[in-house]
Amino acid sequence: MIGFLTRRAGAAVAVLLILTAVVFVLQQYSPGDPVKAYLGANASPAAVAAERVTLHLDDPLVSRYGHYLSAAARGDLGTSYRTHRKVTADLGAFLPATFELVVVAFLFALLLGAVFAMLRTIAGTFVRGVLLVGATAPPFLLALGGIILFYAHLGWLPATGRGGNDDGFLLTHSLVTGDWAQFGDGLQHVVLPALVLAVAPAVSIGRILRASLQQTLSADHVRTARAKGLTEVAVFGRHVLRNSIGPGLSMAGLQLGFMFAGVVVVEQIFSWPGIGNYLAESIPAADYPAIAGVTVVLGAVYIVTNTVVDMIQALADPRIAL
Amino acid sequence: MIASVDDLHVSLRGNPVLRGVSLSVRPGEILGLVGESGSGKSVLALTLMGLLPPDAHPQVTGTVEVAGVDMMHGSAAAHRGVRRRELGVIFQDPMTSLNPTMRIGRQITEVTRDTDRAVQLLEHVGVADAAVRLRVYPHELSGGLRQRVMTAIAVAGRPSLIIADEPTTALDVTVQAQVLSLLRDLRDEYGCSVLFITHDLAVAAQITDRIGVLYAGRLAELGPTRELLAHPTHPYTAGLLRSRLSLTTPRGRELPTLPAEAGPRGPGCAYHTRCPLAVDRCATEQPPLVGDEHQRACWRDISDMPDGTSAAEPGELGPAVEGSAVVRLHNIRCDFKLRNGWRRAGTLKALDGVDLEVAPGEAVSIVGESGSGKSTLLRVIAGLIPPTGGTREVTGGTQMVFQDAGSSLTPWLTIGELLRERLLPLKLSRAEQDQRVRDALTKIGLPATVATARPRQLSGGQRQRVALARATIVPPAVLLCDEPTSALDASLAASVLNLIRQLRADLGMAVVFVTHDLAVARLMGDRIVVMTGGHIAETGPADDLVSHPQADYTKTLLAAVPEIAI
Repeated sequence: MIGFLTRRAGAAVAVLLILTAVVFVLQQYSPGDPVKAYLGANASPAAVAAERVTLHLDDPLVSRYGHYLSAAARGDLGTSYRTHRKVTADLGAFLPATFELVVVAFLFALLLGAVFAMLRTIAGTFVRGVLLVGATAPPFLLALGGIILFYAHLGWLPATGRGGNDDGFLLTHSLVTGDWAQFGDGLQHVVLPALVLAVAPAVSIGRILRASLQQTLSADHVRTARAKGLTEVAVFGRHVLRNSIGPGLSMAGLQLGFMFAGVVVVEQIFSWPGIGNYLAESIPAADYPAIAGVTVVLGAVYIVTNTVVDMIQALADPRIAL
Repeated sequence: MIASVDDLHVSLRGNPVLRGVSLSVRPGEILGLVGESGSGKSVLALTLMGLLPPDAHPQVTGTVEVAGVDMMHGSAAAHRGVRRRELGVIFQDPMTSLNPTMRIGRQITEVTRDTDRAVQLLEHVGVADAAVRLRVYPHELSGGLRQRVMTAIAVAGRPSLIIADEPTTALDVTVQAQVLSLLRDLRDEYGCSVLFITHDLAVAAQITDRIGVLYAGRLAELGPTRELLAHPTHPYTAGLLRSRLSLTTPRGRELPTLPAEAGPRGPGCAYHTRCPLAVDRCATEQPPLVGDEHQRACWRDISDMPDGTSAAEPGELGPAVEGSAVVRLHNIRCDFKLRNGWRRAGTLKALDGVDLEVAPGEAVSIVGESGSGKSTLLRVIAGLIPPTGGTREVTGGTQMVFQDAGSSLTPWLTIGELLRERLLPLKLSRAEQDQRVRDALTKIGLPATVATARPRQLSGGQRQRVALARATIVPPAVLLCDEPTSALDASLAASVLNLIRQLRADLGMAVVFVTHDLAVARLMGDRIVVMTGGHIAETGPADDLVSHPQADYTKTLLAAVPEIAI
């Protein structure tokens, strides 16, 4: 287990090095001049040139990358050209909102995926149909439809923002402190964007889980379980579920990673103050320290989720050795 | 009666599988149910358990009764109660029949609800360190131990009937002998009955009190084991006995086979197209199962049965060719590194210093149990696995035929395309290619029209013939066969073996034939090599080795071969 975690940590470092290197190379060949954004459009050419020196922008690529890495090792991801704040401070401000959105969306995806896979009644067929239609629509269309229906028409759910004072771990904080009014408000705000984010992953997870359940149900050892005279509930709970969960888990891990990357569109539409929004504003400003920071965070999230998934899988199936 | 079926008809997906079976299992008896694949024996077992797969839309008529409960009608809960209280089940493959993610202790206590009793049971079925073994998972046990665990689960609920569906088919012959004797002991001790399903008359002969022979969903013959084997009264039983390959089957002759079934099944006896005794009546009228203790379903008198031995032509054993060896292996070693994640967890010595020479045109059988290294050796000869050490010289080409012909033929190519692929290096014209394909198909006894068929349209035996055609369309110096007949029914297997011997004689190839079956090894090889644990235990001329084994391992292996002693 320790060996496995060490190897994963090593892999994580390698992946993050490659990702940041790619960002640096992109910056080198990017047409936009970040200093213009940094100083404002009216800055004199001399001031721009001087600032380029201060920001080390004219140093060779390798030297700049070296500086970045040594600073990153000390926990400093540089200063945003756009917000003039430390990138780590920006991430600290925007990440909690994204984190809560994605976690809620992920729970939705798991729940809907399980319903998709297991419900064998008319209701199940209906849910499957709705989800399949939803998954084929592009997210912005889904979001638009959701806003028109639930906000404009029915007035059940708000369309923008997070509600309340809008920062930090709003939901988690209100839940822990027992501030139910705040929690309820936060929940109302998160439902629509989370559902939009969850539909496509729910279908992916549900399909895989459904196929693997069907395969397990016809397995020899399930026939043995039935021959023992167990009830169908016992057969399913003890002998089918655990043997089917593996593929669904891998897909869930993969989708969680995709969801973090996919929040850009959803956060834009719902004015959700998360890193998706932050990224969307940083890219046109050629704010490469911010872009690199978000890239590092997404890469780390991806590796961590997949490591956790692999560990859960090893727990579920004794034949898997880490 | 513990269990009985009367005039049982079962159709799955609209196809009749059982067509009027009446049979009772008596208290305390071991009743054998013997038949080839597709005869309906497993479906009969599932019907008794009330577990016919619902997605096959089973249609059932007749009566099925287990311990006085109607298993056809009645509630699912009642059927479940019968399974829990009265039935124990052992399936063929203990690897897939045990839950891979549940400790075996839990799988037993699911039935016993008591850990102490689970330990007792495990000790009882011969699992050492039972208390410790409760904590392991199925994949941590050997095949033999797994089948013992399966047996422990089967007897855990003190059933009145154990249904054993090919319980030893996936096991090595020495392990098979142990499991058979365990089953007999458990029957004696618990006084339960056993329905023992197998395709192998000799295995049934080891353990059963009575045997029912099932053919195409009907009982052909039913009687006490000794009498049925000594005096078979149905031509099918007689044919099965005659075509069974044993350690005493004459080597120099063509192996006796049953003719293939021809044409669709009509209203009459399903066996009539293969039967040497068939008359017009057999095709139109179904013979009823009649008799007292020894019953038969046949219109004819068995004493009219022609003597099979005179019909067989003298077969050709290949020419013993002098000359320098086509295969020369010296001190071959082959290590597999076992990995646990990325860590080295150890080394498996699959081959540990093997020397082997094969002369041109010679046939060598390699026999051994699973894990003996026999298949690895074959793959080293084929050049598919680089040996870790030693020298390998192979002159001329090799071609390989595998056990499962179905999965060794590319499913989307036609048979013609599969065969032509081998001709590509020869740069023949299209007409010449077609001619070669036609010749190859004729040689293996298939019509030339098969060239346009795809593998799934052929039967198992036909596919194995196609695999042979592919291997020999350009004759190799050595034909390598890896258990090519162990997935086939006895009679089909014999016909494929005949074909391999014929091809060897015609093409002058050497043959290296890997098998777990000593009887087959003796028939296919001029010489037998016995392997165990990655090395050669003994090698010698086929008949000498079987009649005068030297190595202890060979003696153990020979002693475990089930034979029909009459």
